[in-house]
Amino acid sequence: MTQQSMSGQDGELGEVGFTDFAVREHRSLWGDAWRRLMSSTTGRIGLAIVLFFVVVTVLAHFFWEYDPRIDLDYSLKFVPPTLRPTEEVPSIHPFGTDKLGRDIFRRVVHGGWNSLRVGIYAVGISLSIGGFLGLLAGFYESMPLNQMGRLILFGGIALLFGALSAWIAGLWFQVLLFTALGVAAALLDELWVGKPGRVALFAGLGLLIGAVPALLVSPMTAVVCGLLGLIIGATVALPLSGPLVSAIIMRLMDILLAFPSILLAIAIVAMLGPGLNNGMIAIGIVGIPIYARLVRSSVLTVISQEYVTAGLAVGVGQARILIRHIVPNTLSPIIVQSTMGLASAILWAGALGFLGLGAIPPEPEWGAMLGESYRYLTSGSWWAVVFPGLAIMLIVLGFNLLGDGLRDALDPRLQV
Amino acid sequence: MTRYIIRRLISVIPTLLGVTIVIFLFLRLIPGDPAVAMLGEHAATENVERIREQLGLNRPLFLDPEALEDGDVKGFLDTQYIRYLGRLSRGDLGDSIHRRVPIAESLKERFPATAELALTAILVGAVVGVVAGIVSAARRNSAVDTVTMVGSLAGVSMPIYWLGLMMIMVFAVMLHWLPAGGRISPATELETVTNFYIIDSIITGNWEALVDCTKHLILPALALATHPMSIIARMTRSSMLEVLQEDYIRTAHAKGLRERVVLFRHGLKNAFLPVVTIIGLQTGVLLAGAILTETIFSWPGIGKWIYDAILARDYPIVQGGTLLIAFIFVFANLLVDVSYAFLDPRIHYE
Repeated sequence: MTQQSMSGQDGELGEVGFTDFAVREHRSLWGDAWRRLMSSTTGRIGLAIVLFFVVVTVLAHFFWEYDPRIDLDYSLKFVPPTLRPTEEVPSIHPFGTDKLGRDIFRRVVHGGWNSLRVGIYAVGISLSIGGFLGLLAGFYESMPLNQMGRLILFGGIALLFGALSAWIAGLWFQVLLFTALGVAAALLDELWVGKPGRVALFAGLGLLIGAVPALLVSPMTAVVCGLLGLIIGATVALPLSGPLVSAIIMRLMDILLAFPSILLAIAIVAMLGPGLNNGMIAIGIVGIPIYARLVRSSVLTVISQEYVTAGLAVGVGQARILIRHIVPNTLSPIIVQSTMGLASAILWAGALGFLGLGAIPPEPEWGAMLGESYRYLTSGSWWAVVFPGLAIMLIVLGFNLLGDGLRDALDPRLQV
Repeated sequence: MTRYIIRRLISVIPTLLGVTIVIFLFLRLIPGDPAVAMLGEHAATENVERIREQLGLNRPLFLDPEALEDGDVKGFLDTQYIRYLGRLSRGDLGDSIHRRVPIAESLKERFPATAELALTAILVGAVVGVVAGIVSAARRNSAVDTVTMVGSLAGVSMPIYWLGLMMIMVFAVMLHWLPAGGRISPATELETVTNFYIIDSIITGNWEALVDCTKHLILPALALATHPMSIIARMTRSSMLEVLQEDYIRTAHAKGLRERVVLFRHGLKNAFLPVVTIIGLQTGVLLAGAILTETIFSWPGIGKWIYDAILARDYPIVQGGTLLIAFIFVFANLLVDVSYAFLDPRIHYE
């Protein structure tokens, strides 16, 4: 049946509901993904665990008061888990008590707030910075720079290195001159392209800008600044373009990636000082290159699609292409990675807490609770160690399961 | 090929320089004056000044424009960072603040302990992970596959610091099967040659020590191996599943080759590349993960040393240990890249 005859019949036989079998019920992309998520066992279990933790934690935070600063009762030190009040221990402690007689159940429930908070903030930091850098890198790697981009790139390079020269000479107006040189090179991009004259012109100008003012300071300074100026001038004379932006960003990411993540997090916390907030920042910074790489590679995949080429062909602006066409299509790997990122952030936050670099006692935090109690393991008080760790494992497992389910749900092509 | 390796080696240089800058800044940005840390709070000002002079702390961080003004190019470059690089090139990582011993020496002593632990862990992780991955790919959707997948997901989600504690609780405290920590029992004597205790005890024919060291190694190595094992198993499985759909696998089955030959000679050989990547990456991660494992099991390696140094605020040790691990990590990745060329002749490097 052709399209035309069908629509014709549709008009005549509308009431019979003739079209029902031909036109599929409308489903949105997200609705479809949700269905697939709900139909997978891992996704369902993951979502259930995560929801359970979130609900319990939020309820406890707002409706179950707890002040860790005054929670202390030496008479109840290391009470094993009890579910029924006895004469010795009149209160109920389902998870037992720790070395200060604090109820572990209560602290585990309240510790969830800190863990979730760390996870969300840390992923937020890595995602916003790393995602932005990855977007820039991926986009400019395959797109020609427009005039604005060229101005920023050339001006930026000249400004950065010009600042070095200006600092050495102690003459800050040099920065302005160098930036002007960079901007000029960007504006005059048609001038003598590919000829040695172009390099000679800009390198010569750079030499003058660097050396002449520096002569005021000392001859040796003039030599060094002149050399720097020469290099800056020669650099901005080259036909620099997008891949350079990408290369700079990705090399910086490589440096961050050169450190094993837990080690870098420990180093950053040692630098900033211990504490939950600094822990979040450290874990967030550690995650930046992961998101930058992920976003860059998904942008590179999306940008080679026909719809982007088509958009460019009909004259859609770069910013619009980026926001309307590229960003939405890179969302699914980002969502999956962020879910798994929450899992690893919670895991690392626990590690920092365990090493005494995360939450500061008496703040309830699962990793810190383990760190406070593990020395007593040999004396038999297993409960102080088992339950906080179990909580970490469960929530991390929940996020990982959810991430697995989301990957299958959001991108069915990836399914193995 | 040689050209590719050389180019790859050169491309590592900026990364390593960046790493040294980050680590150098790390020590300088930590609040507190290292000279005061060495001498104590109540040291006389002139002593502090003398130490600052000795350590070069009175020099600028990166470059010295003032020296240049006087026409002194050498002074222009004679700064803290350049001096630091100079010391590094001579293998000098500075001295520990509290013990006053050269850090490079102590690292040399402690590195074998960490290496022994990490290599055992990666060996266990790789062997078990690859085998489990292959089996679950070959028997897709079977009970074995489900167990492997659930187990590996639990393994990835496992906080190893907690797993280590649970192992101590069960196998050391409750069952008394294995020791709770350390590398060797105090009563056992062992003549050290390489500081790899397993190798040492074999070289010297000290079987009693070999049994003792192995017992000490089991728990920490298993705890450390959990993450890489799970990740390698998942990677091997998905990589194998992809390869097993290829036509040549069907052909191999059709011409009546044995299952094992098909899986290993035709399947694994082609599925191995991503697995090698993961194994290489995990080796670096393991060294860092050793910080937690060594702390729990009182294993006298670099990780525990860094942890103790953080607590004691002995930052030059943290700096030296971090630098060593970061360098090893960078070179492990490099090795993985280069090994591609040998493993997969299809890859050409121009």
